[in-house]
Amino acid sequence: MKQILLQLLAAFCGSLGFSILFGLRRRYWLPSSLGGLLAWAVYLLADHFLGLSFLSNLAAAAFSVLYAELLAHLLRCPATLFITPAILPLVPGGELYYTMSSAVSGELALARAHGVATLNAALAIAAGISLVLAVREIHARRL
Amino acid sequence: MDLKENAQRSCLQNCLLDMGALLLDCGAEISRVEDTIRRLGRAYGAERLDVFVIPSIISLSVSFPDGEVLTETRRIRSTGSTDFYRLEKLNALSRGCCVEPLPLEELRKRLDKIGSGKKPVWAVYVGNAIGAFGFAVFFGGNALDGLTAALFSLLISFLQRRIGRTELNPAAGNLILSLLTGLGVGAVTMLLPTLNADMILIGDIMLLIPGLAMTNAIRNMLVGDTISGVVRLAETLIWAGALAGGFMVSMLALNYLR
Repeated sequence: MKQILLQLLAAFCGSLGFSILFGLRRRYWLPSSLGGLLAWAVYLLADHFLGLSFLSNLAAAAFSVLYAELLAHLLRCPATLFITPAILPLVPGGELYYTMSSAVSGELALARAHGVATLNAALAIAAGISLVLAVREIHARRL
Repeated sequence: MDLKENAQRSCLQNCLLDMGALLLDCGAEISRVEDTIRRLGRAYGAERLDVFVIPSIISLSVSFPDGEVLTETRRIRSTGSTDFYRLEKLNALSRGCCVEPLPLEELRKRLDKIGSGKKPVWAVYVGNAIGAFGFAVFFGGNALDGLTAALFSLLISFLQRRIGRTELNPAAGNLILSLLTGLGVGAVTMLLPTLNADMILIGDIMLLIPGLAMTNAIRNMLVGDTISGVVRLAETLIWAGALAGGFMVSMLALNYLR
């Protein structure tokens, strides 16, 4: 439990760093970093109940977009400002690193497994985002 | 608004292209760039706008009610950077203009002002440091690993700014950055074996990895901007390859030294 809380705080911190780096205005820092924390919480919850990292990534990314759209509506600014920081904790930096380190130490099977996991995560995030955006578009055009 | 004179019409065209180029430079999605140009052009009295945007080019034809058509393309050198500060300002400007168009000279002035305004230098250093710390801890490092990652992020920020100024291509830039970072982290963890090299490197990789660009690329494809998606995906795969190459060479070199 303590481990999870620490990781959630770290996700907040990571998203905060990128919010600053991307030049987000100061009054948006708190909601945008909170997005990273919440997205990771959704990932952990989904992972607990579904146990499939593809679906968990997809759910967390979809949640990020909903959260960003809500904030964009309340604060009257583009949703992109909040989507990007929120999905950062989902970006498979760890998997990419282990792909490289296994490849360097000659464990090719392991490298391949990590490589596939990296691509899987990227695809799941993109699919999650697009899913929500597509539904929104359909809703906006009143099909 | 009704633009009769040629000078005004070409000024409008220029403003539209500048708006598009600036939006791309800030990391806006392709669909947003096309949409903004289209709406803005209509607000200024163009009858029809044919816009085609991919990451490296904007092609724009503006048709006016009397039948005159102006066509121009603009070559874009994208760096794959993200700047929400300017993105938000551009968005507010175009929204305002769509409701009530500003005089063209005023629009010109505002675009120039947004174009020359850069986000402050400290934002790069502080943002990278907090991000590296956060993600080193996030992926399982302890506070000391996080601080070391933050320390190396300062080096990364410095080099990124230097490389950005030389307009070196992003793949070569990533190769140099990852090689130097890998060697530096390796050297420090050799001297202080209690540090976890893995976690420090992951924290710093999160700053360099084109994960967002890659996600955006796939997103572009899924919403129908297929060409842009493919171009961006190829770009990011090459950047990621260069990144991995740099890190792997540094790991091999350190393994050899041990």
